Amino acid sequence: MRWISSRQRIPRSAEPSCVAVPRWIWLLIFLLAGMGLGQAAIRMDAGPEQPPPITLRFVSWKPDHPRVWDEALAEFTTSHPHISVVRELAPHSSTAYHDLLTQKLKNRDATVDVFFMDVIWVPEFAEAGWARPLDQQFTAAMREEFLPATIEVTQYSDHLYGVPSRIDAGLLYYRSDLLTKYGFAPPTTWDELSRQAETIVAGEGSANPTLRGYTAQFKQYEGLVCNMLEFIDGHGGSLLTADGRYSTLAKPEALAAVQFVHDRVIGRLASRAALTYQEPESLSVFLQGHAVFHRNWPYAWELANNRSRSTVAGQVAVMPLPGFTPGRTAAALGGWLYGISAYSQHSGEAWALIEFLSSEAMQKKFAQEAGIAPSRRILFSDPDLLVAAPQLRNHFAVLRSATARPRSPVYPAVSHLLQRYFSRALAIDGLDLAQEAAITDAHIDRLLALTRVTP
Amino acid sequence: MSRAASILQRRESLAAWSMVAPALLVTMVFALYPVLDSLWLSLHHIFIGVPQLGSPFVGLDNYLTLILDPVAQQALVVTLAFVVLSTVLELACGLIIALVIHERFQGRGLVRAAILIPWAIPTAVASQLWRYIFNDQYGLANLLLFGERVTDYIPWLAYPSAAFAIVVLADVWKTSSFAALLILAGLQVIPGDLYDAARVDGASLWQRFRHITLPLLKPALLLALLFRTMDAFRVFDLVFVMTQGGPGDATQVLQFYGYQTLFTEGRIGYGSAISVAVFLMILALSLTYLRAIGSSLLERRRT
Repeated sequence: MRWISSRQRIPRSAEPSCVAVPRWIWLLIFLLAGMGLGQAAIRMDAGPEQPPPITLRFVSWKPDHPRVWDEALAEFTTSHPHISVVRELAPHSSTAYHDLLTQKLKNRDATVDVFFMDVIWVPEFAEAGWARPLDQQFTAAMREEFLPATIEVTQYSDHLYGVPSRIDAGLLYYRSDLLTKYGFAPPTTWDELSRQAETIVAGEGSANPTLRGYTAQFKQYEGLVCNMLEFIDGHGGSLLTADGRYSTLAKPEALAAVQFVHDRVIGRLASRAALTYQEPESLSVFLQGHAVFHRNWPYAWELANNRSRSTVAGQVAVMPLPGFTPGRTAAALGGWLYGISAYSQHSGEAWALIEFLSSEAMQKKFAQEAGIAPSRRILFSDPDLLVAAPQLRNHFAVLRSATARPRSPVYPAVSHLLQRYFSRALAIDGLDLAQEAAITDAHIDRLLALTRVTP
Repeated sequence: MSRAASILQRRESLAAWSMVAPALLVTMVFALYPVLDSLWLSLHHIFIGVPQLGSPFVGLDNYLTLILDPVAQQALVVTLAFVVLSTVLELACGLIIALVIHERFQGRGLVRAAILIPWAIPTAVASQLWRYIFNDQYGLANLLLFGERVTDYIPWLAYPSAAFAIVVLADVWKTSSFAALLILAGLQVIPGDLYDAARVDGASLWQRFRHITLPLLKPALLLALLFRTMDAFRVFDLVFVMTQGGPGDATQVLQFYGYQTLFTEGRIGYGSAISVAVFLMILALSLTYLRAIGSSLLERRRT
């Protein structure tokens, strides 16, 4: 009943305004026309320099420190008033972000202008024609200012496809208080690290029964490849031959490294739970004080020493990951580049945004406020920054010599085969490792052969 | 006379076709076309990341690779094990739940609504929930089992067989109520006087269940079986959220493998071959079931 009455009321109340509207409309039209004329006049005065307003779309992962990114983009819009930037936030995980972004690019989506590119995607994005070559804009003089390793990863078959944003490399974090307490110097080999960890865990057992020697990322996902690459590299092995044509998992060095992780790390040095850990889970174990040693990327430094998030703030030190012989270190190279979509209608403005975000001032801001390792050389000797982030001094050597993962346009497929092999090798006991490695080698070789572009 | 009849017939069939046409068109565009397109794509080698290779026609090469692919074999075994285990458990739990909420008792409406909650929760959320329950440090499962003895806590999802069992458990928890709903509908059409007559004849509770409820519930059970098997075959989100197929491919299922090949690896041809293979398996399964259900319905009508 009420519904009917309200329906009846609508036309009645609408009637008077129907009569009144025309007058208002005329008034409005006059007002708007006047304003429009005024604006046109202002534009005439300002001359032709004022470009029409445009909107840039920036596909980004969900940042750890959203406030810092919001501020950076606000600053950009202030200096470029005709450009507004709309961010589309994708999941934090690199693989999930890859799937979302490539789905858009496969469809030639013109609403993507700027995006982040993981360093492992460059060959794929270049071959598929998704990323615009930036050789023209990103001049040789500009490239000089970045760490050479970060420029190398932007290149593919004689072109550049991105500008380095942040650089990442695997680092070893450790509890400096515990090492000091037991009189240990930072370990130089995995054997030494295991022995130190065993002593400390045994000694602390009554006070902290859940303390483990080590925590890192061994879940079946992309990070597993980075972790295992570091063990293999530290043992003198590699994932592919130097020419990138053949898989080398069955080589004795690589086999021994995987065997070591299975025998000595999983379930002993580290909890078996590490088989389910990605970065956040493994870091939280370390931040709660349940691990002596921890492998992670540079971003963990800021969190580990953040008193509101870490129980071990101020008791953490960082160093290069050890190898299997003294003096040998290993680090997987990671990081993110800014790229411009080949289907963007605003590549000029997109370049302006990239130039701004990768500028020295912005990289310094990101390093100071978000703990992101910069890719510009000069910042590693910047006095302000070194006060705020003294760990950068240690990072520099590691970042310079980090080892890249295989570079191939079919890297995602290669990575899945590697993840499967490593995860099986670590999670399943009594597996014939040599045979499993040989099978994986054969699969990767076939995949690489199948997709080799003959020049 | 016959001419008029044939005109009438033709006009009638024209009208029939025009009425069916919209539905048919929608089915063609949204169901048949994607299937045929996948089939066509699966006969090519296509690497999104390497467009220079073009998209050469390779016949059944992708299917040959699929048969010999150890990852696919593993995924098939895991998927089949998942289908059988989860379906059997869900039907059993569903039957029990249905029998309970079919009875008249105080607050039945509330219980019926509560039973449906797991089914109403999005699978991605439920998966996350179960991942937390079996977390190695602060999971509920460890707390219930070991309480304060934190050193005994078990990293459940790090063991291949436990991880698989947990994925099954999460699915059973989530979809038993759906099976229960279907079975409850079957229970409600069983006439009450059959039970009265049996009671007069002195049949025990078990005898009434065994000789009245179960046979008359057969169509509903088969329907639930059909839905659950087909659904279980398409399991994806549980694996995607909880394990990503790990550890050591212990929870790698066909649909997740297909997703990885198609979306992450950009191997359109091979990925399509996987989807087509899954499609064919589900098709064969549903045809078998439909035949079984059809005959059981006929049987019922004859008696």
